[in-house]
Amino acid sequence: MTCTETRDLFSALADDALTPGERAALDAHLAGCAECRRELAGLLRTVKLVRAMDPVHAPAGFVDRVVAAAQPAPWRSLLGRRLMRPWPTLPLGAAALLLIGGLAVLLFRGSPEQQRAAHDQLEAARAPSSERNVAAPQSVEAPPAAVTAAPRSDTDLSKNYSEPPKSESMRAKTAAPTTKTDAPSPRARAERAQATVPNASRDSVSSAREQEAQQRLTPPAAMERREAKRELADRGQEALAPAVGGRSAAAPSAERQPPPVGAATPAPAMATAKAQAMPQSAPLSRTGPMTGIPAAPPDVTARLRVAHVSGAERALIELAARVGGRQTGRRIDGGRLVVELAVPRDTYAEFVREAAALGAVSIESQATDRPMLAVAVTVSN
Amino acid sequence: MREGLGADPPGLLPRLRAGDPRAFEEFVIAYQHRVFGVALRMLGNRAEAEEIAQEVFLRAHRAIADFRGEARLGTWLYAIASRLCLNRLASPDRRLARGDDALMDVPASTPDAAAAAERAELDAALRAAIAELPDDRRLVLVLRDVEGLSYEQIAEALALDPGTVRSRLHRARMQLKEKLERFA
Repeated sequence: MTCTETRDLFSALADDALTPGERAALDAHLAGCAECRRELAGLLRTVKLVRAMDPVHAPAGFVDRVVAAAQPAPWRSLLGRRLMRPWPTLPLGAAALLLIGGLAVLLFRGSPEQQRAAHDQLEAARAPSSERNVAAPQSVEAPPAAVTAAPRSDTDLSKNYSEPPKSESMRAKTAAPTTKTDAPSPRARAERAQATVPNASRDSVSSAREQEAQQRLTPPAAMERREAKRELADRGQEALAPAVGGRSAAAPSAERQPPPVGAATPAPAMATAKAQAMPQSAPLSRTGPMTGIPAAPPDVTARLRVAHVSGAERALIELAARVGGRQTGRRIDGGRLVVELAVPRDTYAEFVREAAALGAVSIESQATDRPMLAVAVTVSN
Repeated sequence: MREGLGADPPGLLPRLRAGDPRAFEEFVIAYQHRVFGVALRMLGNRAEAEEIAQEVFLRAHRAIADFRGEARLGTWLYAIASRLCLNRLASPDRRLARGDDALMDVPASTPDAAAAAERAELDAALRAAIAELPDDRRLVLVLRDVEGLSYEQIAEALALDPGTVRSRLHRARMQLKEKLERFA
């Protein structure tokens, strides 16, 4: 057997895939050829190196993304897709039109509410009567008392209460026990009319009046109210709030619970509840409860082999903080601890250098332009 | 190297064929790392690898009714993944995103760090050498030495003769050996 023929068998030898005849011939040649023995040693070393590479793990959230993508598309989107197919440029235009239309509707529906609320506050703040004085210092749970106290409002509301609209039912439900709360839509129209009748003056002075009125409120109440209004104005939430409205007494304790269908809470209270609920409903990253980084594959995936995992975890977190980063998450993946960090690109090299002092580091990374790198470090023994 | 490709999870295939969504999730959980691993080693880019890996599972999901079960599920997935990767590599508009090395530069300052840096350098050289292999050789090498498939499983997944697998693997390893000689 020649050297070339012998070397052709090296790879199969590494896999123990030689026939007995091949193996015998190979052994015979190697016994007398130092050059081929060196070649074989080199090849076996190479194979060992490749096999020692760390197995790659799919990124966090991969399963969820695949399973979600495999879900059949809802019939509406399928229909939409089919309808849009012949006009490839139409969907963008249609989407823009829908967006603008939706915003216009939300603003149209939202502004009377806000304006009327401002008007109510102004009335409450200006009213010299005792009932208005009582109403004014009340927090957002009870402002509609001022509305019911105002003669014009009383008239309109009593008329309106006969059939409150879905969209306005929340606001209509005040602390007044005599209020009929389950009347539907005319009230909405009437309230809108009420809000829009004094258009010229209301529009021009509403914000000034609101500020003036709010100055007379107790500071926390004013802040709460302003915040709630801003929330409503920003998000057009009136359109949503009434959808769950209906009838029930305005119990303050119900504020933080989602109102059951057919139950109502006073609109400002609802607004406050929404304002308070917003941060809770903000999307959390799937990579960990502490992270502010969106659920996406990390920019850098590293493995750190150490003697003491918990100590290394602490050291990594401290190291991230030292280089201007922070910990964004922590999870267990396949029984191994994964520490998720955000590390500034500028100090990444320093981070890696110091991380290498903690133990054996191997790194897989991906090109990114982000100034803050998402780094997932698997720490194991 | 991963452990060799074992038998399919018991009872999974009939449930997949029946359209059980939970079975599909189990399927993805069981094979996600293998499929993603092949895609990443072949394409060298995590985002692209995830895209291809996801496509592998979606294709399997769509075609599971036609899967006759003559091969293992894992082998079938490797076959789909291999084909998609080779197609992607052959596509003219493929963007080559190879910025990894810049982020793997680890200067050494302490003895431990020096050792780690040396290891990182070897690792980087190894990966670069693998990336430079011709696609068909790299695929066989990845399936054998990284994913742990047998010659027969590779031959089945790639629709090749086992002898072809053996010779491609031999060439791939010899080429790697030459590139890594300075680390010997």
